[in-house]
Amino acid sequence: MNPSIKLLLLFIIALEISFTTIISLNIALVILATLYLLWRRTSLKTLGWLLIVPLLPAIGLWSTQYINGTGDNAQMAWVLFTRIYAFVFTGATFTLTTDILELADALEQNWHLPAKFAYGVLAAYNLVPKIQHEVKVIRMAGLMRGQTLSFWSPKLYFKAILVSINWSQNLAQAMQSHGFVEDAPRTHYRHVPLRASDWSILVIGIGLLQIGAFAIPWR
Amino acid sequence: MKWAKSWYLSDVILLALIGIFFGAIFMGTNYVYDVLTAALSPIGLGGLANELLLGLWCMPGMLAGYMLRLKGSATLGELLAATVEMFFGGQWGIATLISGIVQGFGAELGYIVTRYKHYDWLGLTASAATTTIVTFGWDLARNGYYKLQLWLLILYFVVRFISMFVFGGLLTRLITDMLDRSHVLKSSHSN
Amino acid sequence: MATITLNNLTYTYPEASVPVLDHVNLTLPAHQFTLLTGPSGTGKSTLLRLMTGLIKLPADHGQITYDDQDLATLAATDRAGQVALMFQNPNQQFAMDTVQNELVFALENRQVDPQVMTNRINEALDFVGIRDLQDRQINHLSGGEKQKVALAVIVAMNSDVILLDEPFASVDPAARASLLRRLIKLRDDAGKTIILADHDLTDYETLVDQVVQINADRSLSSLPKPQWPHFFAAFSAQAASDHHWPLPKNAPNALFDLQQVQLQQGSFVLLQPTDLQFLDHRNTLITGPNGSGKSTLFEALVRLNPYTGQINYHGDNIQKLKAKRYARQIALLFQDAETQFLNITVAEELAQSQKYAYGDYFTTDRIQQALTQLNLAGRDEQVIYTLSEGQKKKLQILSMLIMQSPVLLMDEPLKGLDLKSVDALVTLLKTTQAATQQTLIIISHQLTGLTSLIDYHLRFDQHQLQYQEVAP
Ligand SMILES: Nc1ncnc2c1ncn2[C@@H]1O[C@H](COP(=O)(O)OP(=O)(O)OP(=O)(O)O)[C@@H](O)[C@H]1O
Ligand SMILES: Nc1ncnc2c1ncn2[C@@H]1O[C@H](COP(=O)(O)OP(=O)(O)OP(=O)(O)O)[C@@H](O)[C@H]1O
Ligand SMILES: [Mg+2]
Ligand SMILES: [Mg+2]
Repeated sequence: MNPSIKLLLLFIIALEISFTTIISLNIALVILATLYLLWRRTSLKTLGWLLIVPLLPAIGLWSTQYINGTGDNAQMAWVLFTRIYAFVFTGATFTLTTDILELADALEQNWHLPAKFAYGVLAAYNLVPKIQHEVKVIRMAGLMRGQTLSFWSPKLYFKAILVSINWSQNLAQAMQSHGFVEDAPRTHYRHVPLRASDWSILVIGIGLLQIGAFAIPWR
Repeated sequence: MKWAKSWYLSDVILLALIGIFFGAIFMGTNYVYDVLTAALSPIGLGGLANELLLGLWCMPGMLAGYMLRLKGSATLGELLAATVEMFFGGQWGIATLISGIVQGFGAELGYIVTRYKHYDWLGLTASAATTTIVTFGWDLARNGYYKLQLWLLILYFVVRFISMFVFGGLLTRLITDMLDRSHVLKSSHSN
Repeated sequence: MATITLNNLTYTYPEASVPVLDHVNLTLPAHQFTLLTGPSGTGKSTLLRLMTGLIKLPADHGQITYDDQDLATLAATDRAGQVALMFQNPNQQFAMDTVQNELVFALENRQVDPQVMTNRINEALDFVGIRDLQDRQINHLSGGEKQKVALAVIVAMNSDVILLDEPFASVDPAARASLLRRLIKLRDDAGKTIILADHDLTDYETLVDQVVQINADRSLSSLPKPQWPHFFAAFSAQAASDHHWPLPKNAPNALFDLQQVQLQQGSFVLLQPTDLQFLDHRNTLITGPNGSGKSTLFEALVRLNPYTGQINYHGDNIQKLKAKRYARQIALLFQDAETQFLNITVAEELAQSQKYAYGDYFTTDRIQQALTQLNLAGRDEQVIYTLSEGQKKKLQILSMLIMQSPVLLMDEPLKGLDLKSVDALVTLLKTTQAATQQTLIIISHQLTGLTSLIDYHLRFDQHQLQYQEVAP
């Protein structure tokens, strides 16, 4: 399926469940998403991880609503609890089955996103492991000089930005010397089709969501 | 896409890198969040951890707006950070992206209402305020805040503004002051 | 194909007051291999960047022409067909995740028809001999492999002129020889024009057609052929050394005790499982080719890099020690000076070290004295990031010396320093050490001036780390 349409559909779902308060709809979405993930051969370990990670924030929201809510607070508490899981599981159907390159291709080819945004982000994304290491290096440089750099220390961010400036210039120059020219036309080796079937899935998906939200008298 | 023309490739990469760097730093705050949430949940204030730390997550946007001084840099800074985070260990999936847009727009609004002219305390305070208001409006729906008792809503709002001001305002200012003094931005910044 | 001429070229960085290159005139004939040399900081990288159009040459500052066409008037999209640049740092040279995707990216930029891309990619990979790397993650490759990929990209783009900026700086000798062979083939069979900047001049004498030097007056000149033997011989004489060091005896309570330690970057093994000791209050020198893993070893010693096996510090497993305490024991002088700095002005940087120093040897007077010795006096209020590379290096070393941690790991402390600075520095190290008994472990390519400080010599090469009696 076209990644950009998939993203759009999931975006609409996430937006809509932010404004509905139907527990069973949230649960239905979690179940559908789980089935899809299983069909795409997601490991049980990953699914278990998806269950554990949001637990604490979900409990936070639940207890706040349960103890300090107004009106039918138990109902609202569970709406929020299940909503978090609906966000996480529908989101996972995208992030676990689509890679950032596919999305960049689709946004560039189908939606004419300027290539500098698509490839600029990709280039930065590929540095993620180096960046995680660099944060450790900056902290270590601080420790060796007797200074602990915590997340509230301006110096930590200052150093991070210095490195970013440096790397962004190097990367931009490297891309240019690999022939990249801003706003110039490019050919495409990997073709991302935008088919009628993609549009159908989008329309049907949104339709089903409305039925789930407004027509079925569940709660 | 006329606005896109004023952005250079290196600006895009820079904002994305800053977003990733900050994300990597924030990972270290997860334990603060966890401990606070666990401690406060039994008295129904579990959301307070989120309020206290939210300013941190909105910082890339406010800082990008303040540092690059380009129209849209706050929004783009936050959005790029969110996009990368969505793919990299972001268990929140699409919700990250939506939050990114909301937060980025909130930060941008502060610079819009000050007409992209006040790169000083006024602009920063405005940005902290608009980010608070916009994200709070969003949480009224998404996190069911509209159902909460009024005293709690006011408490959350005030805490959130303080967090935005401390991280997005104060810390941003301290960081950009260091950047100014070090003379590195001038050469890098092409506009 | 392209003959390049530089006409009266002058370039000054916007932030600088003096030009890097001043009224440069030079012709680089087509199908020739030119070697560009000159001391560090003389403008080699700047020149190559100007020649690719990555830095714009302001109007009225001369001209760069490719076969009589002015580079400034060449459309940006045609530039890459004309000239491609390969960088020194292999790590920020790629936009994509895999080798295949990077090649595709470059060809898409060149607007190559997708139908013929597969062929061109395969040909380029075969030419460089790295077909087996096609689907590998670039992040997981060694420095030499990355540079081969970079060359494959250039081959695939089929640019007429190939510029290389110290392309072998993190490449092992075998990969270097293999890359050089391909370059010669590109010149002889495909008629490419090649311009390569390098410090290490081994092997070039018989391969290149022209040697260009950057002079003290910031102009360029071509070295006449009769002078070549003398020029290259001077270089190889400098590389050799006849210094002898003893082999250490194993001690019961060594400073570091490595037990079956293995190092890797990604899936690439740098050090086979090794048992080794570093001795206390002795200075150890580590040498080895670029990319062998010397810096990675240091990062493992300060727990910045994972390793397998066990490292003990005075008998304690370093993984069990408290991070904060351990960082005060073992300080690391990073290879890149900027990594070390935490502040903005010279005075702030020194003040921070003095405040948190482990010992009290460095009084304010001694610091001032050291600054004078290193020719850094009077720069208190200068912003660190505006210092020259050599000045940064000296300030970095002084800041770390002031800390007086029991052990100091120094990664390339002489990088970018002239001989006078080296002497001043070694003198400072000696006087400090006589008073404080600090242990130094030093990685260095450059041995001139340093040898008298050293007690033992470790060689890191071919995945082995061993004590040796002689210098490389
Ligand atoms: N962006 C910049 N702004 C100001 N000055 C710069 C900039 N880049 C380089 N320089 C200065 O220009 C001079 C030439 O630098 P360049 O990197 O071209 O030297 P190089 O010959 O390649 O040195 P090396 O052998 O160390 O790579 C140096 O003195 C350097 O400090
Ligand atoms: N973060 C990283 N990810 C992947 N590979 C890396 C990384 N850092 C270094 N490498 C690779 O590991 C190898 C060893 O690097 P290292 O920096 O330790 O070498 P070195 O011996 O210090 O070389 P030099 O003399 O050039 O400083 C190189 O091939 C390098 O490209
Ligand atoms: Mg250079
Ligand atoms: Mg090294």
